[in-house]
Amino acid sequence: MRTRNRLVSSTIAFAALLCAAEALANPAIDDSALRTRQTKLDNGLTVLTLEDHTTPVVAFQMWVRVGSSDEARVTGLAHLFEHMMFRGSKNIPPEKHGQIIQSRGGRTNAYTTSDMTVYTTEIPSEALPLVIALEAERLANLDISEETLVSEREVVLEERRMRTEDQPGGRAREALYALTFQALPYRWPVIGWRSDVANTTIEDCREFFSTFYVPNNIVIAIVGDFDADAALEQVRESFGDLAPALEIPRHVTEEPRQSGVRRAQVHFELHAPVLATAWHAPPAGHPDAEALDVASEILSGGRSSRIYRRLIHEEQIALSAYSVYSEFAGAGIFGTYASVRPDANIDRVEASLLEEITRLRDEPVTAEELEKAKRQIEVSMIHQLTTNSSIAGRIGYDVTILGAIRPLEDRLAAIQAVDADDVQRVARAYLVDAGRNVVHVVSPPASTEPGPGES
Amino acid sequence: MSATARFMGLVGLASLIACAGSVDTPIWDQPPPPIADSPVVEPSKLHRFELDNGLSVIILEDHRLPRVSLGIDLRRGAASVESDRAGLAGFTAELMKRGAGDRDSLELASAIDALGSVLSVRADWDSITAQIWGLTRDLDNMLEILGDVVLRPRFDDEEAVRARGELLAALERATDDPHYLERRFAAAALYSGGRAGLPLSGIPETVMALDSAAAREFHEQMFVPNNAILFASGDLDALELLDRVGATFGAWPAGEIPDAGPPLPAPTPTERRILIVDRPDLTQARITLAHEGISRTNPDRIAASLLNEAIGGSGFSSRLMQRVRADAGLTYGVSSRFSLYRGGGTFAVATFTRVAEVRTVIDLLLTELERARREPPAGLELEEIRALQVGHFSLGIETSDAVLNSLVNLEIYDLPEDSLDTYRSRVRSVTAADVERLALELLHPDRAAIVLVGPADALVPQLQDLGPIEIIQP
Repeated sequence: MRTRNRLVSSTIAFAALLCAAEALANPAIDDSALRTRQTKLDNGLTVLTLEDHTTPVVAFQMWVRVGSSDEARVTGLAHLFEHMMFRGSKNIPPEKHGQIIQSRGGRTNAYTTSDMTVYTTEIPSEALPLVIALEAERLANLDISEETLVSEREVVLEERRMRTEDQPGGRAREALYALTFQALPYRWPVIGWRSDVANTTIEDCREFFSTFYVPNNIVIAIVGDFDADAALEQVRESFGDLAPALEIPRHVTEEPRQSGVRRAQVHFELHAPVLATAWHAPPAGHPDAEALDVASEILSGGRSSRIYRRLIHEEQIALSAYSVYSEFAGAGIFGTYASVRPDANIDRVEASLLEEITRLRDEPVTAEELEKAKRQIEVSMIHQLTTNSSIAGRIGYDVTILGAIRPLEDRLAAIQAVDADDVQRVARAYLVDAGRNVVHVVSPPASTEPGPGES
Repeated sequence: MSATARFMGLVGLASLIACAGSVDTPIWDQPPPPIADSPVVEPSKLHRFELDNGLSVIILEDHRLPRVSLGIDLRRGAASVESDRAGLAGFTAELMKRGAGDRDSLELASAIDALGSVLSVRADWDSITAQIWGLTRDLDNMLEILGDVVLRPRFDDEEAVRARGELLAALERATDDPHYLERRFAAAALYSGGRAGLPLSGIPETVMALDSAAAREFHEQMFVPNNAILFASGDLDALELLDRVGATFGAWPAGEIPDAGPPLPAPTPTERRILIVDRPDLTQARITLAHEGISRTNPDRIAASLLNEAIGGSGFSSRLMQRVRADAGLTYGVSSRFSLYRGGGTFAVATFTRVAEVRTVIDLLLTELERARREPPAGLELEEIRALQVGHFSLGIETSDAVLNSLVNLEIYDLPEDSLDTYRSRVRSVTAADVERLALELLHPDRAAIVLVGPADALVPQLQDLGPIEIIQP
């Protein structure tokens, strides 16, 4: 699960506007994504191609618009299924897909979020036709067995132990989402609840595949050193016969307005307690997103930020502390997280962080802070534009979640337009006391017995 | 780049083959198309200089985006610190970020943040690196900040006390992290009593004694230009930058090059030892098998890396991933690596599994290491691993920052300047006989240390016949 990097998509253009006066010395950044060719096949498959011949490698990504928030009965299915996509098809035995890619000098992997499942491959250019053929093969002929499912469930349970069950940070995140969302399907973890993963059946997988892995729910992005005409031709030939779905089911639930602070405590043996707080924020593509990014940057971007200076440097009560705006297709979270120093009190850390949020609501931020935050967002964006896979990630995300590639100039304008009033306005609109959710991960008192269901 | 057209041609050819062959043989069963070697660096973009004081300068121009990265790397690192001062290199690096030149801690942070830049000062075993990233238009400011941080750190007492407090708290927090405990005690299992047996960041006993005077003295000894490399990449003009580098670093006086520290002891361990770091609360145990490896400059290092990739490496299709993950469902990940340092190295296999299955997994690891000695990768398996290494190399040089990092690393270890250009042909020239010899020379499952992090109560009964067990309370 990731915090969607809206920052990735929002910064580049900013440089151009902010520095109109310096434009001569610093030529406008070339937004290569605007040269993307977007093709829609008759069966609804979207193909994005962007040639860049700088280095002889190519990034191929398949974006399937299905994530944990689309799960209906069994949680963790989207992620477990992502694993199963590597477990064989009619013509490719289990694990062979990745092995073939590696043997041609490439690497392949996949990740699942609450909104999407993304299959990524980077490979020397010569092998692109092979990658397209392999991807089409598993979409057309996926053939998974009870036997591979049984072992893959265990693999995912090991992943769950590693990421969540034995990690204080993982425990905090899981509890925070379950607390913040009471109705929306973002409330369960992307990796799923243990009992669901353990009991997922082959029928669950097959039904999931036929429901969501349909061409009209998929975007393919190819970026790098390749011939777009030839690649499109091959994609058309190998993906064109896949049948689209008439309808792709989505949840219709809405989150009721939260009307009071919610708190949860998780017991875990540790030296440094973890504090996690969340407020409800708008979903991806909302016009308030940029103001929330700027607010978050002012709070915790760099060592001169408010949270670093106060909690880490001055009060010396946290080892790390930060804020982040996380956006999803159907909701958002503005969160603050802190690792509490072993010699400090978690309530004190919570109070200090909350005071910084209150200050954001009560006082306008300074012009200097505003300028600095915008610049930081800009630079971090530019640094993320150096590889084919990061560009494929940007255009894949934009088209899958926002419906179109958002030009850098737009993002630039939106970031540049944020002023102190906007930051104060979004803080007042979203970071409200009645919408706050707080999780403490702390050591259990000496005598605590495990509760029912714990193991 | 002139290679582009050639590559286009190859792509077109590959597509034709795919179409022509698709009726009978699927593309994945056809022989792979030849992969042309692109030049790693276009010679006109790479510039090397040396200042009168001995400072090496490497500049790599890349004008695609208006960004730059520049830094100073030392050819010495934490290995130069004695055991009783473990953590000093990292502590010094941290303090360099907390005030330099005319700016105190907060002023320095504000100056960096105002540029949207990021400053990193990091101590590794064989090097110390100060680096700053930002936009081209801020190059002058960035160079000035780098100059201050490297040449004029303040080492204020108050900041030293703060940093020490944070470091001690961080060491305490680190014991919450099973992965930290695993690495910490794997090093201890191999090098206990020696400097390399302690973590880079030190332990509470050594960190407690660190102060601003120690950092100042360490900085003075280590930061001499004749032991340093200035590196820069991005949207900049090499000659212009060289002038400014001369103005900033030209008067930095040369000095004595510090000792690189003793070589790592080998062989180690000489007989099987088992360490259990007791964490009764964990549901999953971490497992590392480790013994000595080879140094960064060992002539067999490429053949060793092919052997490693076949066994575990970091990919999905290694022997261990197949056995432990894909076939048995006993882990989410298993990897192996040779860590290469100036004075030697380590070989380690690492994984994790539910507590009840630890013995099964250890047996699988040992069996696969034994099998690697008896049946080392050869034939098609070796050929595929060569292709993997060559291809991953090409993927790894996609950005100029990555290329520059590799070039600087070669400088640190006094390896040939053209090592990147010759890398792919060196990989292709590794023979099955090389790998077979190395498997016997370098893999020692019979005496590897076994380090576990998990509940000792549940682990001890599984391991009693494997060797002597030591239990550590973290």
